Amino acid sequence: MSETYVFNRRDFLKLAGIGAAGAISGCGHRPAEKLIPYLIAPEDILPGVPYWYASTCRECPAGCGILVKAREGRAIKIEGNPAHPVNRGGLCARGQAGLQGLYDPDRVAAPMARENGAWRKLTWDEALKRAGERIGDASRNRKGVALLTGHETGAFEKLCGAWAAGAGGARLAYEPFAPVALREANRRTFGQAAVPYLDFAGTHFLISFGADFLETWGSPVGYMRAFSEMRARKDGGTFVAVEPRLSLTGANADEWVAIRPGGEMALALGMAGVILTEGLGPALSDRGTLADAVTAFTPEEVERGTDVPADTVRRLARRFAAAHPSLAVAGGIAAQSEQAVALHAAVNLLNYVAGNIGRSVRFDRTLNYDTVAPVSELQNLAGQMARGAIDVLVVHGANPVYSLPAWAGFSAAMDHVPFKISLSPVLDETAERCDLILPSTHPLETLGDAQPERGVYSIIQPAMQRLPVFDARPAGDTLIALASAAGFGSAFAEGWNEYVKTEWKALHQRFGAGRDFETFWNETLAKGGVWEEVSAPSVTWQSAPAFAAPELRGAGDLALVLYPSPVHYDGRGANKPWLQELPDPTTKAVWGSWVEIHPETAAKLGVRRGDAVKVETEAGSVELPAYLYGGLRKDTIAVPLGQGHTAYGRFAQGRGVNALALLPPAQDAASGTLAYLVAKATVRPTGHAGTLVLAQREKEQADRAVARIIPISALTGGPREPHGGARAPGEHPAEGEKPFAELPSQHRLGHDTEPRLKPPGEKTPAHALTAFVPEDTVRGPRAIPIRQGSYANAKHRWALAIDTDSCTGCSACVVACSAENNVPVVGPELVKRGREMTWIRIERFEERLEPGRSDVRFVPMMCQHCGDAPCEIVCPVYATYHNPEGLNVQVYNRCVGTRYCSNNCPYKVRAFNFFDYSAPEKETFAFPEPLNWQLNPDVTVRSKGVMEKCTMCVQRILEGKGNAKDEQREVRDGEIQPACAQSCPTQAIVFGDLADPESKVSRLSRDERGYWVLDELNTKPGVTYLKKIQREIT
Amino acid sequence: MKRALVLASLVLIVLAAGTAAFTQSFSVQLGLNRGPTQPINFSHKIHAGQLGMNCLYCHYGAEKSPIANLPPVSTCMGCHKIAAADKPEIQKLSGYFQRGEQVPWVEVYWLPDHVKFNHKRHVRAGIECQSCHGPVQEMAAVYQYPSLKMGWCVSCHRQKLDDPVHPATMDCVVCHH
Repeated sequence: MSETYVFNRRDFLKLAGIGAAGAISGCGHRPAEKLIPYLIAPEDILPGVPYWYASTCRECPAGCGILVKAREGRAIKIEGNPAHPVNRGGLCARGQAGLQGLYDPDRVAAPMARENGAWRKLTWDEALKRAGERIGDASRNRKGVALLTGHETGAFEKLCGAWAAGAGGARLAYEPFAPVALREANRRTFGQAAVPYLDFAGTHFLISFGADFLETWGSPVGYMRAFSEMRARKDGGTFVAVEPRLSLTGANADEWVAIRPGGEMALALGMAGVILTEGLGPALSDRGTLADAVTAFTPEEVERGTDVPADTVRRLARRFAAAHPSLAVAGGIAAQSEQAVALHAAVNLLNYVAGNIGRSVRFDRTLNYDTVAPVSELQNLAGQMARGAIDVLVVHGANPVYSLPAWAGFSAAMDHVPFKISLSPVLDETAERCDLILPSTHPLETLGDAQPERGVYSIIQPAMQRLPVFDARPAGDTLIALASAAGFGSAFAEGWNEYVKTEWKALHQRFGAGRDFETFWNETLAKGGVWEEVSAPSVTWQSAPAFAAPELRGAGDLALVLYPSPVHYDGRGANKPWLQELPDPTTKAVWGSWVEIHPETAAKLGVRRGDAVKVETEAGSVELPAYLYGGLRKDTIAVPLGQGHTAYGRFAQGRGVNALALLPPAQDAASGTLAYLVAKATVRPTGHAGTLVLAQREKEQADRAVARIIPISALTGGPREPHGGARAPGEHPAEGEKPFAELPSQHRLGHDTEPRLKPPGEKTPAHALTAFVPEDTVRGPRAIPIRQGSYANAKHRWALAIDTDSCTGCSACVVACSAENNVPVVGPELVKRGREMTWIRIERFEERLEPGRSDVRFVPMMCQHCGDAPCEIVCPVYATYHNPEGLNVQVYNRCVGTRYCSNNCPYKVRAFNFFDYSAPEKETFAFPEPLNWQLNPDVTVRSKGVMEKCTMCVQRILEGKGNAKDEQREVRDGEIQPACAQSCPTQAIVFGDLADPESKVSRLSRDERGYWVLDELNTKPGVTYLKKIQREIT
Repeated sequence: MKRALVLASLVLIVLAAGTAAFTQSFSVQLGLNRGPTQPINFSHKIHAGQLGMNCLYCHYGAEKSPIANLPPVSTCMGCHKIAAADKPEIQKLSGYFQRGEQVPWVEVYWLPDHVKFNHKRHVRAGIECQSCHGPVQEMAAVYQYPSLKMGWCVSCHRQKLDDPVHPATMDCVVCHH
């Protein structure tokens, strides 16, 4: 009997196990990679050392100066240029996210033509030939050629004008939220068709009629900086926000006047009337005629039309006239109604009668919106297109198919244009409707210039070579090549770079001061541009337009406020994952859109937070999740714009809805601008849940005193003056206080909580230094700090001081941190489960959301780098520890992912890698090529299963210490800046060394407003917050 | 019996294969005194040893940057346009240069992403290149001299903790961040 051998399951498993073990041991090492040297090393470039290029931000019309950091030929970080007059160092979240536009994986890779409904790749020669022939035909046969761009200034603006003239066609610049109505109102009232310079910093009483100047309106970063300077002045300044919806800007106001939507103009005129009738303002020769213009607007009449009590009108008017100078500013959606020019004229009148013109409102450094056309001209163009009068349409930098409502007719008219060319780098809604795409390069890889303000000539320079994965060309080169192909190219220089340089030769004459052009040009590139003082023309009141308040239309009982998203602006930010995951500063919602409803209104409708509701106007309806927001009038709802893309790449498509569908046809007749504040709406519950992803669900503090406030009267040292200042950090007691060891333990009595008496002569090691010890702190017996090894002789104790009075909640720091530290974006599903990875967040606490004194507080929250950290003591593998310089450190390679630290962290500032965000083969991969090109090589890209958190940008600390060592000196105060502090437009975050009692962070930490979040837990944080100041409203 | 034999031989084969794979893949890492095959048979023994060239002439970033850098091909050609231009290996080099191709050197030293080593700090603290890279001047083909394990780094750092001029640190975050 022969034994037959059966290979049974059990044996197989055994062998498979052994085999697997062998395989694992064999695959433990990655295969050796190639090291590729330079063929010829570029001059002055050293791999491993970052290079900085000064340029100009092109994410909105403000034109902030930026510095782009490049490593090994790749742009990896954008920061504000401290020397630039527009923003002076800060940069907003949208500006920081410009990198993700450069590395957008959905950029168009090569010229494409639409053939039989599908895109076919072309070579540039082929594409230019094809387009040139069509343009040439059209221009020779006097058929229409139209060039449509976004807001452009400088050389490109000039090129566009010359190009359109050469083609014998039309040229139009369209920018959705440009203050065209303000320009028109200034033309009528002051004879100056310009957007004035507003001196926020010097203002004593500021009143805003809907202008979201800390978010999107005008030049937000520059305004934010100036606003915080106003607040920091010893005499301070009062800010009153007049708006139906408490915006982020309004959340920073001392008083919220919840005006009826559209009532802003009446209030401004009412205030002007009070000033004129009570004789409060300066003596004016035309006082009589002005008073006649506003007689109808008595405070009582204003109260009837706006719901603002007559007493408030008088009070505001008197305060406004008494402050020298005061400033009234109108903008935002309030100034985008059917009576936009009337509102601006009314506010101009108010500023005029209070004597602010020429003081806080000046026509020297005016914002450059000179060539932006109102939507009415775009409609004219659409009309010509629909009639078949336009043969070739060239679009660059504008997306009217998305940013205009359907009734404007542009989208429909595109079908009647035989040949449409887009120069867009991405397939946005407009490009998708075109016949030919000639992809442009991103501004970060292009030469150019900008004149965002009068007297500011700012340079745009490439921070890196063009991305090889995308075969794109600068729009200027494309236009010049198209002109040559069409037969009218002789007017232009050979290429775009030469064209820009030719333009700058004229500036060289003015600014060169004896240097040759090359020297001047190189200096300009290094500095970021040239700027000069400009003088203001003196203006007088000319005439007022007819004053009429806008009427909201439709059958609904709720006024509809559509506002530009502070995160996505007009929608151009929606294709950037950092911005999609950046919580909206008001609702803290991510990856979508929503409708804000007052809780009482919602209760009446039976709507709860997150319910899907149908918002309907006479123009259309959309379905949105409801967000209940107390910072709204009860008769108003609000919807952000900027989402709901049907094209524009994987991150933008299908997120939220485009609320422009709700807009009925309406325009301001005087300026031709689109009216966004025009409709009444109804809200109906649908009965099912909507998709509302909130990064911060609760906006109440529940008595935890995370965000604290102090009345201005309680401050002894003035608003921003450090109090006392004699006490060195960590040295207790201070003058006038009880000695450290004599303080009673207030929470629990007994041996364990007695404070430790410091023996005479004992010196606290650097890592254990604290800014102060709050009096009601329980001190444990563990207070003997480690003093062995390098813990004995460390020289620094790194710390942060965060002034919550300066923090406007703008969230620029959040994006700056993600960019610097390779923080992955996880998407809405994971945010919903609380798995967002950001190392810093802006906590929003709504203490009081009522008209009058509203109280919204913002707390930037990151790792507190506690002296007695709860996370450190629970880690079983010492992956998190306290370093000699006081940092709470997370060692990724040591972390085994128990998550005990996160469980024990009272601040919830640790983020766990639940998935592999860095593995290209995984679905959760957060950096699809070429987004991964942006990754900072100085920071580890974390893998699955490890914990991570704020490091206070330790790579920057090491770099700063290394620089000091190279120059054989000590680290200078302010030399090292973490990404959050660097980006902050109001400089609310200050980093420094607590061991140096004279450092800025030491002085701020000792301020009488200083406090620690959750100080009762005895964590001794390295982050000291300064209380928000509650100012008096009189 | 037959079953046991089959099992035993299978186990042996698997183990042998595993060991072979293990040693092969770790050969570089364990420093078994043989470097990888390079596209050009470049000899540090000739350049750094016999000719006595300064390391920083080619690895020009070592004292200025965290990265030591490889020499650009143009640096090689600076001498080799004339020097030994007839040798087959040099002709390979000039071939790369004329074609405008970079030389695809095979990496010998590798650190994972979570280790940030800074050449500049070590060179400026007066550490000889050879203290880490070994007797490069005697290596015909460069191989990985140290283990590059953390214990190896730390052994030196521990000794120099109290160095009066350039104290080393034992703080994890200096390398792991």
